[in-house]
Amino acid sequence: MFISIENVSFSYDSVEDGQPVKNAVDGVSLTVEQGEFVAVIGHNGCGKSTLAKHLNAMLLPDSGKVYVDGDDTADENKTWEIREKVGLVLQNPDNQLVASIVEEDVAFGPENLGVEPGEIRERVDKALKAVGMYEYRLHAPYKLSGGQKQRIAIAGILAIQPQCIVLDEPTAMLDPSGREEVMSTLIRLNKEMGITVVLITHYMDEAVSADRVVVMDSGRVLTQGTPGEVFSQVELLKKHRLDVPQAAELAFRLKGCGVDIDRIPLDEAECAEMLMEVLQ
Amino acid sequence: MSSILELKNLSFVYGQGTPFEKTAVDNLSATIEKGEFIGIIGHTGSGKSTLVQMLNGLMRPTGGQVLLDGKDIWSEPKKIREIRFRVGMVFQYPEYQLFEDTVYKDIAFGAKNKGLTGDELDKAVRKAAEFTGLKGELLEKSPFDLSGGEKRRAAIAGVMAMEPEVLILDEPTAGLDPMGREILLSQIVNYHKERGITVLLVSHSMEDIARVAGRIMVMNHGALHDFDKTKSVFAKGGELRKIGLKVPQVTRIMQTLRERGVDVPDGILTVDEALEVLSSLLKKEGKIW
Repeated sequence: MFISIENVSFSYDSVEDGQPVKNAVDGVSLTVEQGEFVAVIGHNGCGKSTLAKHLNAMLLPDSGKVYVDGDDTADENKTWEIREKVGLVLQNPDNQLVASIVEEDVAFGPENLGVEPGEIRERVDKALKAVGMYEYRLHAPYKLSGGQKQRIAIAGILAIQPQCIVLDEPTAMLDPSGREEVMSTLIRLNKEMGITVVLITHYMDEAVSADRVVVMDSGRVLTQGTPGEVFSQVELLKKHRLDVPQAAELAFRLKGCGVDIDRIPLDEAECAEMLMEVLQ
Repeated sequence: MSSILELKNLSFVYGQGTPFEKTAVDNLSATIEKGEFIGIIGHTGSGKSTLVQMLNGLMRPTGGQVLLDGKDIWSEPKKIREIRFRVGMVFQYPEYQLFEDTVYKDIAFGAKNKGLTGDELDKAVRKAAEFTGLKGELLEKSPFDLSGGEKRRAAIAGVMAMEPEVLILDEPTAGLDPMGREILLSQIVNYHKERGITVLLVSHSMEDIARVAGRIMVMNHGALHDFDKTKSVFAKGGELRKIGLKVPQVTRIMQTLRERGVDVPDGILTVDEALEVLSSLLKKEGKIW
């Protein structure tokens, strides 16, 4: 296993009305395998972003342990090594781009790591090609669309050659086509380059593409499993203020009306197929 | 009904006369009636934001006119500030625009500049806070002590407190979780119902637009691609897909059934509607009781 989270708790150092704020992450244990695509869903304040920041030693647990490739994230000698292995992409692309030219931005990471100039060139080109932005290498980032900027941010992480990318709601600020660009990039990086992906999101249609879905609520893991296993629990998800894909909701409610449905569909094609069968 | 906003051959060209000239809005004409709830959709760069910024005089059209209540908003350029009180605009991520030392003062800022004072101002502020679901005890806090969702509401309340005749919201639910989206959206719907004002909502969420808008403006390459009743717009799913937009998932599912010969109507927009149609169909066939 690549990342192992063992009984981790964390609270921010703030006090509200004289009471310490409760744990943002509360006794979470979770593993991520090499090459896996894991989606973490949950409403705002459920602790998913806090958990994400534990995966590359941005935050250290108050109690419990996080191991990345066998190394304890609390070991200060390993911090930089861990951050090379696990790259973090955040919600707002504008907060992550630093240079005025796309390729310089992507080169920022490897430059700081002291990579040889020749190799930087290679890494930058490769990273930009991997996210489909090579033609834009000499453009100014501020003139790109949100989806393009987010792909540059991902390329910047790729240039560090991590084994795992953790993304904290990378599509929250994007339009539908930008979201699709980012999602198809992530799926390709995972399937073709074998990069482990941990995707924090509240878009259920994105979570459907993952190998495994982890649902968080109040700092804990509520349930986890394949998308099929998780999204068939329509009632549980609704109770915890989460959306389910409309395809799953429709099937679930028809089932409630007495229609014989044995498997909850996750996307529109499956749902249409299921409905055709029921109707015939 | 009478029209509140009339757009006549409206155009906006960025960098006119320079090599970087780019037409963002291209000869657009449309009429919006008083009290309507309009959805505005279109992919990034289709001209939505430029369009709405012309409606409250933040950007001056390079061609054509915006008529508010029959009068060109630029007929007296010196009075353009008044237009901004009448056409209130909530920008994307408005929570980054809070700046006062209390939430109350922040909400009051616009209304105060409009000229509201004393009890009238106080009432407008409290009413706006109520509409957006901000609890009274939060009003004396610093806006920076609020959660992200609360900040967003405070910013929206600030525009509502100006009691505009037209309220424009640019992606008000972006970045909120499903529950937060749901709550904010129903607050906007209530506000629209109670105040009877005109609301223009720019959104990428077709599911949201499908639920709340009476008519939809579809923008594509700066032009008005379509302006019609919500049902009619979403019934043209293939056309929307071609210009980079999606119809709600449930609409697509029902569309597929229709294409495969099942007798369901066009333009089903919500899960509730689909459920109703399907269950009556199944009842007819004796598959459920």
